[in-house]
Amino acid sequence: MGLEILVCIKQVPHPDHFSEIQVDAGKGRVIGEGIPVIMNPLDRHALEEALRNKERFSGRITVIRMGRPRVQKAVEEALAMGADRAVLLYDTAFARPDTLATAFTLFYAIQRLGKFDLIYCGNETVDSGTAQVGPMLAELLDIPQVSSVQEVSFIDEKSLEVRRALEHGYIKVRLKLPALLSVTRDINTPRLPTVQGIMEVAQKELIIWNAKDIQAPPESVGLKGSSIYAASVHEYKTGRCREIMQGSTEEKVRRAVARLKELGAI
Amino acid sequence: MSDSGEIWVIGEQRLGRLEEVSLELLSKGTALSQRIGVALSAVLLGDEVEKIARELVFHGAEKVYLLEDARLRYYQSEAYARLLAGVIEEHEPQVVLIGATEIGKELAPKVAAKLKTGLTAHCIDLYVGEVDDAPHIIYVVPGWGGNLVMHIICPQKRPQMATVKPGVFSKAVKDENRKGKIIRVKPDVRDEDFRRIETVEVVEESPKGKSLELADVVVCGGWGMNALGGFSKIQELADILGGAVAGTRPAMDKGWVKEARMIGQSGKTVSPGLFVSLGASGAMHYTTGFMGSKVVLAVDQNPQAPIFQMADIGVVGDLCEVLPCLIEELKKYRMPRKS
Amino acid sequence: MDFNLGREHELLRDMVKEFADNELAPRALELDNKGEFFWEQVKRSGQLGLIGVINSKEYGGTAMGHLARMILIEEISRVYPPLGFFHQTGNLLMYAIETFGSEEQKKEYLPALCKGAKVSALALTEATGGSDPANMQTQAILEGNDYVVNGRKSWITAVDPADVVGFVAKTGDKFSAFIVEKGTHGFEVTRREETIGLRSLPVNEFALINCRLTKENLIGEEGRGLASALTTIATIGRTGAAGVGLGIARGCYEIALKFAKERVLYGKPIAALQAIQFTLADMNVKIEAAKWLCYSTAWQLDQGKTSRDLAVDIARCKLYAVDVANRCAHKAVDIMGAYGLSPEYRVIGLLRDALELGVAAGSQEVMKVTIGATITR
Repeated sequence: MGLEILVCIKQVPHPDHFSEIQVDAGKGRVIGEGIPVIMNPLDRHALEEALRNKERFSGRITVIRMGRPRVQKAVEEALAMGADRAVLLYDTAFARPDTLATAFTLFYAIQRLGKFDLIYCGNETVDSGTAQVGPMLAELLDIPQVSSVQEVSFIDEKSLEVRRALEHGYIKVRLKLPALLSVTRDINTPRLPTVQGIMEVAQKELIIWNAKDIQAPPESVGLKGSSIYAASVHEYKTGRCREIMQGSTEEKVRRAVARLKELGAI
Repeated sequence: MSDSGEIWVIGEQRLGRLEEVSLELLSKGTALSQRIGVALSAVLLGDEVEKIARELVFHGAEKVYLLEDARLRYYQSEAYARLLAGVIEEHEPQVVLIGATEIGKELAPKVAAKLKTGLTAHCIDLYVGEVDDAPHIIYVVPGWGGNLVMHIICPQKRPQMATVKPGVFSKAVKDENRKGKIIRVKPDVRDEDFRRIETVEVVEESPKGKSLELADVVVCGGWGMNALGGFSKIQELADILGGAVAGTRPAMDKGWVKEARMIGQSGKTVSPGLFVSLGASGAMHYTTGFMGSKVVLAVDQNPQAPIFQMADIGVVGDLCEVLPCLIEELKKYRMPRKS
Repeated sequence: MDFNLGREHELLRDMVKEFADNELAPRALELDNKGEFFWEQVKRSGQLGLIGVINSKEYGGTAMGHLARMILIEEISRVYPPLGFFHQTGNLLMYAIETFGSEEQKKEYLPALCKGAKVSALALTEATGGSDPANMQTQAILEGNDYVVNGRKSWITAVDPADVVGFVAKTGDKFSAFIVEKGTHGFEVTRREETIGLRSLPVNEFALINCRLTKENLIGEEGRGLASALTTIATIGRTGAAGVGLGIARGCYEIALKFAKERVLYGKPIAALQAIQFTLADMNVKIEAAKWLCYSTAWQLDQGKTSRDLAVDIARCKLYAVDVANRCAHKAVDIMGAYGLSPEYRVIGLLRDALELGVAAGSQEVMKVTIGATITR
């Protein structure tokens, strides 16, 4: 029979190159062109878990991404790792969404794709890091969801027990499928694509859908569908003293400690 | 659109213990409610947690909506989300603040999706300001590259929801003489809430070493500690200052600190009285983690490191020389340990 | 002309880069110090499908081609040249069997070699000189249906761990190529040579003492062995050595560049000093030039051109990439001062490895002989 699994992936700027990202303060937006991109690291863990489930129970893995088709690094890597097909959601109507609008966009695409037994997401992205889309999407789909998942065990083909992280401990949760799981890096070590996997990418199905294809109401997606947005971008006035101590090492340290005392810090 | 609604703080308790972040949110909630001129209330779910509800009153909540049931003893995702959304829909607060704890980060978006409203994540500040000549609550969120922050607004949808990481705001002041109403709401807990998902076990260990978020002094080491072979000197310095040890992401990758002690955008945020950064160059996703500290001391060998823009006192030098010297100098002061 | 590598080659580079950075880099120093053959890394390389990139899928390969091979050897060598060099020598017999061997030989040996479960070596060099193969002394005399082989081969990489070894011997007044399996009576790996670089790749002598081999052990026709071996060495050995050179050059450049940006002298990073910038600029230009020389050659091999057509291109890219590797490694050591001489900072190890490339798959002088003789014809 097999599992029908969906993995949500995001293509993000490579964290090593974050400092190269420029900001358009007037528009409250970032300019990311020309920066190397990767699949969001936690999404790789999500995909790896899906691949292990497929190896155990057989089935099919679909990856889904919202973004522009010009650079498809994340999707290509996912297919090379072993995903069976990919869906790209691309439309200017989808642009500049808040997390709820993102969840809605994915929701409408899933209506068209059909039923899934399991949906995997990375807990959060390295760029926005809200950790919101997973729980919101599950809510829209009306399926149970758990965040910060560190371990997944199948009780039988229809139910799971997962362990989710707390700050200093964990919670064990039982879930019935269909369900959505947001995973952390503890859950597994993602595999590298093999040469065979890389060469199979060309044969795999890539579906590209726009707003009309998924019948997404314009008021639910993109900027129009967003309840929150950035009104402006500002320089954060840190109000720091920025005093650099001078002299020999001993002198610098002595002055630093004296200053700390003056500031009431020690 | 009702902007006469209350300011709400969702209190979080675990196993009968109140999360500190709830008290931090109450302090900001108090400021907001005074500024706008509406009441500040709190919501608490659990079982046999009336004492905690009273704590919320002592810290500023004028009302506490208390939803108690034996089946709500532990966090149950469907039940909590449904009941919370229900009580929000019924009373229509204009703002709902939730602590971005592990549970809050999962619960807040579920509730926001149920209410089809906006949820701003990880604010470092919020205040009433003007956008296009209209008053709005402005949520300040760290942005990209350099010292940039975004000012987010939620113009239409209500309630406006926001999460705040523990350690960003300071705790509200406790006043046991404060009077407030505890409103018992009989929660309509259903079997259906547990059919598809159920918490079966909750395990919490007390953290080893000084708690990061509560510490008045935090000593944080970065990649530069490599020259000293690791974190032993950091621990020594932290002991003298009575502080907690933390690390940057490279330090965590090196195995010198666990993930729970990593400072940064995807890690912990702290606002201690003194933050000491050693051997970290100061990348933005690190510095957002300690922006709210009262005083920052930075040591690094590169005079052009961005960390010196984020510090009050900067010492440029080789850590191998500076650190032992700093430790000796501080020993001389022999200050009493701060709790 | 489209200089983009294309999706598959980019994905390959990313994968090998991650493999090298996460799995090889942390162990590089330890493996180098140990000085023993790295079976674990070879098996992992096989698992990822990297060893059989020039063998067909029918025999366990991935048939991704020469450019793919160049890229993967480069990325590995950037971090751990011995494994890159293993691909250089290890692919030699794999190519010879696939190109000149019988169906039985392909089925027997290639799958295990592609997986990294077994390794191989190819031996031409003897005391009479690797640069002068026509004067080799090893002889295979036909006695009935068997060849009786006597001789000694020297300076053969990876022959000690090898499960299967190819070699060339005189048969009458011509040369033939043979396969001999480990454990065959009369085949004995003898002394190990101490090498200054590539220390975890053992280099040994071996002896054939009245070693009896059958016609099934011949690779291709009797009498065509030297030609097959030289074609193999040109197509696979020289391009492989070039790839190792590219990797070492880039590895040294990246380490030196990072160091220069962080190392503070006179109140600022040394990267601000023009002397340092000039050295780095020189490295930058040479690496880029070497890269395109090597990639274009590999690309042409993928288009179906023979090593005969590409004799000059192949010699050129090996000659240049190896020179650039040695130069960059030496300059990186200079930039890094005392740190440059400390094994922990890797560039001194990369320099030692670069020194071994000169004589690999034909010496630098032999490359010039090939080029000079061809262009003046």
